[in-house]
Amino acid sequence: MKEPFAKISPFHVDPEPILEEFDLKDEDFDSASSDEKESMVETHKSVGFWADAFRRFKANTVSMVALFIFIAMLVFAFLGPKLIPYGYAEQFRSAQKLAPMEYSENEQIIRGLEDKCDGYYATVLKPGSLTAVKKGNYFINSDGHIYAFNVAKAWEKVVLIVDNDAENPLVKVKQSDLNEDGTYSEFEAIEYTTEPAADATELKLDTKVFPHVFGTDSAGRDIMARTMYGARVSIIIGLVAAVIVLIIGSIYGSIAGFIGGKVDFVMMRIVELIYSIPEVLIVLLLQVVLKDPLQAWFDAGKSGFALAMKDLGAGIVSIFITFAVLYWVTMARIVRGQVLQLKQQEYVTAATALGASNGRIIRRHLLPNCVGSLVITTCLQIPSAIFLESFLSFLGLGVSAPMASLGSLCSDALETITLYPYRLIFPAIVLTIIVLTLNLVGDGLRDALDPRLKQ
Amino acid sequence: MIVYIIKRIAAAIATLLVIMAVTFFLMNAIPGSPFLTEKSTPKQIELANAKYGLDKPLIVQFKNYVVNYLKGDLGTSLKMQEGTPVKNIIFHQGKFALSIKLGISALVLAIAVGIPLGCIAAYRRGGALDGFLRVVTTVGVAIPTFVLATLLLILFAVKLEWAPTISGSLTDFRSCVLPVISMSFYYTCYIAKLMRTSMLDAINQDYIRTARAKGVKTRSIVLKHALRNSLIPVITYLGPVIAGIITGSFVIESTFAIPGLGKYYVQCVLSRDYPIIMATTVVLSALVIIMNLVVDVAYKIVDPRISLTTKED
Repeated sequence: MKEPFAKISPFHVDPEPILEEFDLKDEDFDSASSDEKESMVETHKSVGFWADAFRRFKANTVSMVALFIFIAMLVFAFLGPKLIPYGYAEQFRSAQKLAPMEYSENEQIIRGLEDKCDGYYATVLKPGSLTAVKKGNYFINSDGHIYAFNVAKAWEKVVLIVDNDAENPLVKVKQSDLNEDGTYSEFEAIEYTTEPAADATELKLDTKVFPHVFGTDSAGRDIMARTMYGARVSIIIGLVAAVIVLIIGSIYGSIAGFIGGKVDFVMMRIVELIYSIPEVLIVLLLQVVLKDPLQAWFDAGKSGFALAMKDLGAGIVSIFITFAVLYWVTMARIVRGQVLQLKQQEYVTAATALGASNGRIIRRHLLPNCVGSLVITTCLQIPSAIFLESFLSFLGLGVSAPMASLGSLCSDALETITLYPYRLIFPAIVLTIIVLTLNLVGDGLRDALDPRLKQ
Repeated sequence: MIVYIIKRIAAAIATLLVIMAVTFFLMNAIPGSPFLTEKSTPKQIELANAKYGLDKPLIVQFKNYVVNYLKGDLGTSLKMQEGTPVKNIIFHQGKFALSIKLGISALVLAIAVGIPLGCIAAYRRGGALDGFLRVVTTVGVAIPTFVLATLLLILFAVKLEWAPTISGSLTDFRSCVLPVISMSFYYTCYIAKLMRTSMLDAINQDYIRTARAKGVKTRSIVLKHALRNSLIPVITYLGPVIAGIITGSFVIESTFAIPGLGKYYVQCVLSRDYPIIMATTVVLSALVIIMNLVVDVAYKIVDPRISLTTKED
């Protein structure tokens, strides 16, 4: 036992006291048998790339808060429209130009009834349901049906009217007998009871008026519903544009970086050329040029793809095309830089020696290793796409009515800005929060995925 | 250095040619004709096309553009101001000068405010001012320009009446304030953020510690030693800033009713006035390209370690 220790120790330490102190025997130095190897206890779980990054990200309070706010914005944009009873294109004729939390005249009547009657004002007379309605208070919805306020089931042919002051407190009027101004002459009296019905609580819910939290616009559309919808459109534009940039930029950049030489030279000159074009001028031209051909293509609607695109509208699709044409260059530069470094690594040489094709090396070895910068750049691309869309909408390009994006909502609000400033403020705040949280999450991701960059 | 500049100028000319080609084919792809109005007959359109050479094959038209541009002739307007030479519209009606005045003021403001703020924030790292600036700059880069411009307009021009609502030709100081501030705010914030990061980087370098150990005053450490080294990322960012300020001018000019080139460009695109679209694109692109070249040369002056001739990422 003395021999090997003497060889490896530069200071010629006498091993005997050490062996004695730790009670080590000769057989402790034999190689481990396979049984022993299996029973080896893992003291620390090995931490993978993502787990490690996630741990660092969690430690970053600002980014975590930003992430939660962003998730809240996602809920607002994607689940919100399901929670409020108003649609983004639905117009309420009696409820135009309302301030935030203000109720229209009709809505106030319903609210008044609610308070007065403890929710038991309306009673069920027949299968179906009925709500408390004062004489003549009805409205025609955009679907052409007559509604007596928030009746749970739409009465298509018949309007039921409650009027306590009148001789016939509850009457049934045919739609054809109903005048424009809500009065009627032909009616049929209905017997009713003032006893609370079995499902009266449900009725109470029906009569609840949901407040216009952000107010309504000049066409009587609920601004909160439109802001939710606009946020959804803007987020989708941001995500899709970022994915387009990711795909084109990473493929282009990795090919240029990996092949190198003349191919790289030519490809990077093209990138530089696109980089030095002031893109806004071309973007504006592209928007105008693409609008009509795209619309024609949608209307022909031959393939399923065209139909899917039609739902998005020409404005949004041309934004995507703009990103595909002009905005991938930054991503391509970053990926190329990374690939240039990575392709010198031994594992690439090993893969080449084992006969892997270039495509396989790029896909399986190079791109997964630049995933950090791919994620960061993609994340920071989303706000820039949202900004571009809002800029275009401001100039009257971008999405077209009745569709809305945060940008188009802001730009619509500008016409009446002095009278109704809140119409600009709500979408603008949502837009700012989305961009702000995405920026902060992107910064956090950079620190988490690439700790070397951290200050 | 000279070889590098010559190479860059050659590249710039090539880029301009490509931009001209792209613009030419894009604007010809816009559906409709500049002469199409409610009253015009097909015959009239045909005559007008012949008069302005729009009946020739596209490739010939493009060649004419290039040849005329080389001679310094930017053509005449077809619609917006029919018959007026485009050169007069852009340069002599004050549009170009107005946009440049606005853009340069915004650029100067962004640099003059952003860089000192970034330095102070870095120097007082962790202090109250640093915290405040971090919040302002982080929020500042998330507010769209047109929202900020509108809010400033409402607050200072409509409610408080400190500034005119219509800035017009920016002849007096009061009418310049709001457009310039709203145009430069985003870039001021961005530059301050960049400057803070790179200044922090520089302050932690060994040579700063050496200077401090030798008893150099704080002010002169920041101004003489750290500033020069931390300016590089900011200069890199100036290229996109210049292009972005042109973008900004579209929004600012329409918000504050300034009759500049940006606003005019949008109108020309919508009315298909080909010669003006082409001339504006070329003039603005040339401006951006020249400014980028200036930025690259400025690099060399700030940091002699950067060799321009072997510039490969």
